[in-house]
Amino acid sequence: MDKYKQYLAVNVVNESKIVSYRQLSRALKVHSHVAKQMLYEFHKNQNAKKANSVHATYLLTGTARTEPTESTNNTQTQDEEDSTMQSSPFPSSYPEPEPPLEFEDEDAEPAERVIPTTLVTLVKEEDLEEAKEDFDEIASIFLYSLQPGTPQDINILTESNRESLKAWRDEDPLDVYKTYGIIQNPNVKRRKGGKPPPAVAAASASVITTSKPAAKPIPAVKATPTAKEPVPLNVNHRQDSTTSVKSAGSDSKPKAAPKTAPFKREKSDLFSSFAKTKPPKPKASKEATPVEDGPMKGMSEDEGEEEDEPMVEVTKEEEEKAQAAKAERAERQKRLHDMMEDDDEDESMSEAPPVEEAVDEGSPIDKVAAEEPTETVTVDGGRRRGRRRVMKKKTTKDAEGYLVTKEEAVWESFSEEEPQSKKTKTFAPSNAKGKKPAGKPGQGNITSFFSKK
Amino acid sequence: MAKSPNTLLQIPSEDAFPSSTRIPSIYNPLDTFALPKGDQKHYTQQFADLYFLRLALLKPDIEKIAEEAWKNFELGGERAAPVERVLDVRQGELCWMVGTVYMEMSLKPNVLDDISKEHWIVAPPTREKYISSTGGDRIYLEDESGRLALTGEHLKKHLLVTGCIIATMGTENAQGEFEVVDVKVADLPRQPDRWESYDSAAILRGEKVNKKSRPKSGKVALVSGLEFKGDGSDSILLDLLTEYLLGETGTDDEPAQISRLIIAGNSLSHSAPIESREEHAARPLAKRFGHDTIAYNPVPSTALDLFLAQLLPSLPITILPGDSDPSSIAIPQQPLHPALFPHSRSYANILTQEGGEPSWFHSVTNPWEGDIDGLRFLGNGGQPINDMYKYVKGSNRLRMMEHLLRWRNNAPTAPDTLWTFPFQDNDPFIMRDCPHVFFAGNQPRFATSTIEGPVGQQVRLIAVPNFKETSSMVLLDIETMEVECVKFRVLEKKMTNGN
Repeated sequence: MDKYKQYLAVNVVNESKIVSYRQLSRALKVHSHVAKQMLYEFHKNQNAKKANSVHATYLLTGTARTEPTESTNNTQTQDEEDSTMQSSPFPSSYPEPEPPLEFEDEDAEPAERVIPTTLVTLVKEEDLEEAKEDFDEIASIFLYSLQPGTPQDINILTESNRESLKAWRDEDPLDVYKTYGIIQNPNVKRRKGGKPPPAVAAASASVITTSKPAAKPIPAVKATPTAKEPVPLNVNHRQDSTTSVKSAGSDSKPKAAPKTAPFKREKSDLFSSFAKTKPPKPKASKEATPVEDGPMKGMSEDEGEEEDEPMVEVTKEEEEKAQAAKAERAERQKRLHDMMEDDDEDESMSEAPPVEEAVDEGSPIDKVAAEEPTETVTVDGGRRRGRRRVMKKKTTKDAEGYLVTKEEAVWESFSEEEPQSKKTKTFAPSNAKGKKPAGKPGQGNITSFFSKK
Repeated sequence: MAKSPNTLLQIPSEDAFPSSTRIPSIYNPLDTFALPKGDQKHYTQQFADLYFLRLALLKPDIEKIAEEAWKNFELGGERAAPVERVLDVRQGELCWMVGTVYMEMSLKPNVLDDISKEHWIVAPPTREKYISSTGGDRIYLEDESGRLALTGEHLKKHLLVTGCIIATMGTENAQGEFEVVDVKVADLPRQPDRWESYDSAAILRGEKVNKKSRPKSGKVALVSGLEFKGDGSDSILLDLLTEYLLGETGTDDEPAQISRLIIAGNSLSHSAPIESREEHAARPLAKRFGHDTIAYNPVPSTALDLFLAQLLPSLPITILPGDSDPSSIAIPQQPLHPALFPHSRSYANILTQEGGEPSWFHSVTNPWEGDIDGLRFLGNGGQPINDMYKYVKGSNRLRMMEHLLRWRNNAPTAPDTLWTFPFQDNDPFIMRDCPHVFFAGNQPRFATSTIEGPVGQQVRLIAVPNFKETSSMVLLDIETMEVECVKFRVLEKKMTNGN
């Protein structure tokens, strides 16, 4: 029962986050009404300990006070019609041949007597009393959210709402809505399958701007495990990742990796929080494939759906799994990041230039180059010089006066900066990664070809 | 459950809150406005057929009404006589005839003007009203034979737009204009009884109709103009709307009474497939080959999808497209494609499914017609009304809505100033049945009224306000036909969002 106090203490007090009753109810799997009471309790206790340490917004629901302006209506009641009908020269089928001037008035919209209006008002705690004045009768009043200070713009709550929405997107609403006290509908019909592709979720996640107040780095908080906290990295994992990447791994590497790991941890925290806004690459590709491979039966010309994968039943275990998956995702993100950093290290380590030539010999494009023995390249203090053959377009007028364009191989000498030196170096140790080895050594030539034209 | 408003301002209680159950909605949509699909859909026809059909369909009924009203009418010892064609009218003879109204307005957009001016000047922004302040507008009555100018003081009493079918009585004066003495319209068509279609379907299935055991109906929520942007400028009010509909905003049972949500157009902001002239001019011209990915922004539809996906587990939804939604631009607009709703579409039937129960999440045409709990609903995303507004004086939206019903025409100004599919052998805009509820979305403010027909038909008119501007939702109690309004508000000291 006291879990909520901890949750709120961590999120509101320590991390300065906005927590709404919905977030709380989803996080703790309690009825939303109970979550509202928890907010109330926490708000009361905290402010008793230290005044104004926690700020609240309230949501009021009730009957709106009937405004006197609404009573001035000119409804199209039957009585009024009768009276105007008499003034018209001939009985008309129109029930309301009112003088047209009446409709010149912008306010001529006939509001029916007084329409009962329910008012739902969101208000900051300091304006609560003022808000109450607009109600005839308040049906319910509760704490909508808690935040560390008065929000500048109350609309900032949308952000936190959307953020939390992301967190429970994996849940099956049909199962969990009852827990949260949402109105049940026994008649709901849902197709089997049709679990939305997670790629979409990731894409929508990218939309969300992370404008939440910057979290204060309090060490104590970091220690408490919460759902969003990135799980501390497993060193084994790290080693796996680093060693697996290095196909031609040198023996000195595994030792180096653990050494860099603690140093990187603070950095990767930052990185993972940033990464949340980005669709995690390995995950997207991994999860998108089953969708694409799914049976596309019943595809009509205007049909754009049918991911008929078997629907995933979300149980409590699965929820936990989802949590674990999230942690894993964060971890993977981190690993990816490490991988990239390792690459950088490689770069700095294998600074020796001769490696380049040696490996380049093996790539297919170089063989092509080898077939043209007259092409000479000399590297001289970072500049490349030599002769090479390029295709040039030649347009001539032929006998009949037509323009004829021919492509001809022309020899030209060149001299240029060596732009490729770095890239080829990084490619050198890892042949396995070389997805596009083609064109690598030749790329400098091509760019120079265009620049010369 | 305690009724006190402060129930939720207590320490967390151990006793569980009961969860409420939503009232079921008996739903039978009609596909009156569905267009043929694929190869069957052509745009090569002329629009003239539409006018011809409209007159042919409504003329017999209006003639009957005119005959009844005017057959004994005498003016200065002369008896009124019917005239078959507009051109048969003789000067000085008191007569009546039926025809289509055509409004000649100098400020009305004219396709010939557009073509001739296109290359020379930037077109002026679309006008709020077509009525010219100098009074140069003329009203004509036309049929397949020709057209006749209408005049007279009496005409000013009536609200007329291009395309409505009327019967008019009077005489032709010396200037060759028709002095109008009186005007008749088709008035409300036959109104089916409540549950009529439901019962007849049951009888066809061979079931016995038990009139006593009707389930008690709930309320229908109507909302329009949600205008999702998805970029963070969506207001907290949309969240409040979701929470209200899901019953999370209070301890009362009110939201559980809502059995269906109808979204009447403009759910997305600025995602019409065809950009307006101004937008096109404003966009920096970048030549691109192939699919222009810049023009497509998936963010608004994702936001809408998530909104719907939150509601659908608890609430069935009918969604109409509006003029800012990615549907066809010509009315009848066709349903929003399920590909827009990757999360929500699992609640919808697959498109290829024939028959069976209607979708839980039902993307429908605009205008749309259907039975909800036995009541016939007819509604549109607001385009016919908003276009009609330009023709007439004043801003009384309910009056315009009423006239649509009395003219028995869902969109009289189509195809003149409202983009329309060129129907060839059927005009679905002609109302065959009188609805019980007629709603128009995206109106500037909420308004409602009840009108009555000649044989006791009662129609509830609802002008559904734009949510973005008014942050209001309309609730209609099906049993009592009473209307309520739910207003969402954020009270801030500066009152930027309030009211």
